[in-house]
Amino acid sequence: MAKKILIVEDDVFLQGLAATKLQKEGFDVLVAGDSDDATKILESNVPDLFILDIILPGATDGLGILKKIRENMKTINTPVIMFSNMSDEVNIKRAKELGANEFMIKSNFTLDELAEKIKDILNMKAGTA
Amino acid sequence: MAQTIEELIQENTELKKQNSIKSDLISVTAHQLRTSLSAMKWILKMFIDGDFGDMTTEQKNFMQKALDSDNRMISFVNEMLSMNHSEDSLDEMKLSTFDVIKLIDEVIFDFTGESYKKGIQLVFLKPEQPTLEITADYEKIRVVIQNLVENAIKYSNKETRIVINASKKDSAIEISVHDNGIGITTEEQQNIFGKFFRATNAKQQDVVGSGLGLYTTKRIVEKHKGKIWFDSKINEGTTFFVQIPTE
Repeated sequence: MAKKILIVEDDVFLQGLAATKLQKEGFDVLVAGDSDDATKILESNVPDLFILDIILPGATDGLGILKKIRENMKTINTPVIMFSNMSDEVNIKRAKELGANEFMIKSNFTLDELAEKIKDILNMKAGTA
Repeated sequence: MAQTIEELIQENTELKKQNSIKSDLISVTAHQLRTSLSAMKWILKMFIDGDFGDMTTEQKNFMQKALDSDNRMISFVNEMLSMNHSEDSLDEMKLSTFDVIKLIDEVIFDFTGESYKKGIQLVFLKPEQPTLEITADYEKIRVVIQNLVENAIKYSNKETRIVINASKKDSAIEISVHDNGIGITTEEQQNIFGKFFRATNAKQQDVVGSGLGLYTTKRIVEKHKGKIWFDSKINEGTTFFVQIPTE
């Protein structure tokens, strides 16, 4: 069964590219543009991995969503990749404190490199289960 | 007329405020640039990988050139952000006592991938003592060593060697980074630590550079009451020396 990835990204073009590539790599991809969308999706889906942008519209940013993910018993251990172009130390440190598994700067990686990282994380997770 | 101390304090506060605004502007601009650069990087790579169908060899080559150009701009933005951050925090010194040998080992490890791509060997000639302790700002000294090693790799020819030395010199630690690269012309040596300066032969290389690395490095070294200097011969190589007091 294909692994399910939830991408939370407000840039529609980047969201579309990431979803297209990850689908080609064999993942089942769900997309959300903000925290409210993500919450609705989570009512009936439990992803195997989250990819979160930091700067998002609305009151809750990517770090706020990460906090909610870690407070939810269903997703407390679900891997999270923070995927953002905001690479300041404050955000990176906060993401680590809140339990992100990785912090990747979007412009430093191609989408196939992102896919490889996802496969690494999910294989590691399967290996320790 | 001499300024009063009060006026000077006010001016300093205003300058710090302006600096903070400038720094925020650079961060925001860099973020926006990165968004567009990400989109181009991803889509170009998807075309090259055949995700949108087959292309002719000529088409792929053009896409690759566009991707290379995009990656160069991404590197430049990364460098600008790094310099911005270093400048931002230059006035704050977080002092701690640490082992310089261990730090150099870590930096060399970080650059293993990059040096491997060019077939460059990174050699660390360690001193007799097992540790070389110094009280300094760990992150800033790390930036100094990173900048020197990164420059050495950038401007070294393929299949050459970069030699890093560290030793105790009286009450200071001396670090040197030697490469067999393009060197610096005698005429341009006096400008090498200038902000945004890039030597003519450096610009001719297919290498991204902002001209800020050595400028920032010198500022950090001087903030630690240290010294930085170099020896260089065109087409033969360069050795940079940094001396920092241990306390």
